[in-house]
Amino acid sequence: MFEPSIIGFLCNWCSYRGADSAGMARMKYPPNVKIIRVPCSGRISPELVLRTFREGADGVMVLGCHIGDCHYSTGNHRTAKRMPIVKKLLEYTGIDPDRLMVNWVSAAEGEKFTNVIKNFTEKIRAMPPFVETMK
Amino acid sequence: MNDRLSTLHETILQVFPQVEGVLALKSGPAGIAAPYLFSPQRPEELDRLALWPKEPVPDTLKIIQRAHAEAKLAVVCRGCEERGLVEMFKHNQVQWDNIMLIGLECTQEEAEFCRCWKPYTSHATTTVGDKIEGVPDPLTDKIAAMSIEERREFWKKEFEHCIKCYGCRNICPQCFCNICTLEDKKWVETGHLPMTNPSMYHMIRAMHMTAKCVGCRECEETCPADIPMGVEFRLIARDVIQMFAYETGARLDQKPPQLLVLEEGEYERTGLPH
Repeated sequence: MFEPSIIGFLCNWCSYRGADSAGMARMKYPPNVKIIRVPCSGRISPELVLRTFREGADGVMVLGCHIGDCHYSTGNHRTAKRMPIVKKLLEYTGIDPDRLMVNWVSAAEGEKFTNVIKNFTEKIRAMPPFVETMK
Repeated sequence: MNDRLSTLHETILQVFPQVEGVLALKSGPAGIAAPYLFSPQRPEELDRLALWPKEPVPDTLKIIQRAHAEAKLAVVCRGCEERGLVEMFKHNQVQWDNIMLIGLECTQEEAEFCRCWKPYTSHATTTVGDKIEGVPDPLTDKIAAMSIEERREFWKKEFEHCIKCYGCRNICPQCFCNICTLEDKKWVETGHLPMTNPSMYHMIRAMHMTAKCVGCRECEETCPADIPMGVEFRLIARDVIQMFAYETGARLDQKPPQLLVLEEGEYERTGLPH
């Protein structure tokens, strides 16, 4: 069975803590996601997302604090303004925009974190490997 | 065409006493035209005034203003060049107060050549020529109607021809950063052709043109491989209008959306989950 490789960019203050609380509660989730901790989801530039795909990732996840709860007050506003455009760009260049997922997970939402990862992994698993579609 | 040229000639002569120079196109050998600063001291040079082929005048204005920020200049600009100046003003590249705009309205053929949706000026005080409405953009509509797989094939074929001459970046009036991401080997590989698929170069450029591209089509014009990259910029520009109600180059008092926090109701239009 195709095991997708997914890169997850998690913000240090909410989503990474959310992943921690999921781990602390011994919740199960698929091991396909490789987590990269970033100071803020606003740090994720479009270049980072595009290069992650170029390096062969099948899916990219950007998780941040809920709008209004950002540690840097408006850092995730940048994410919310930028990522929809990146999704559109992927669509216009011929990459399935569903391969990029943006969601908001707080430090207390361990269960939401596992659900988000489960759903996304299933969605990516149903798609062909990214590198093959680009041949 | 000749009618417009003579009207423009007269308009510039009228404007001459108020300004230190007029920036317009001057015809050269072999049917080319280049931006030139006509001086009120030498009105006879206006005999070589030209309208077409168009060249990005905003870029030349930027270079002149770097050395002479206070100079009072008049600029002959088309609709796209005026929008470009508005965007460059917002990014502190040109001074707005010292310049006087002479609008040059495009003809139907010129607008169709550029597939322009707005071939007229809206800030210029004096205009030359008759205003015409925007023309449809069949290529952009065709690509917008394609499925994702079709688009992938289309761009793969187009980008295979790219020789990465950086001509589209160099000609673009909106590309003014001192340090360019496209020259950074971290993001864009160098040294082999055809470029990687997906093309990092063109995707990063499209991303950086968000809320900046004014659709002057200079990049498509200059491209030796005839890649219609403006289509991507136009498609994204349509989304930016829909999501953030920002039309590039339309208003002087509206800041680019990427620099601001979310406004009321904007988040709902981005299509992100709650």
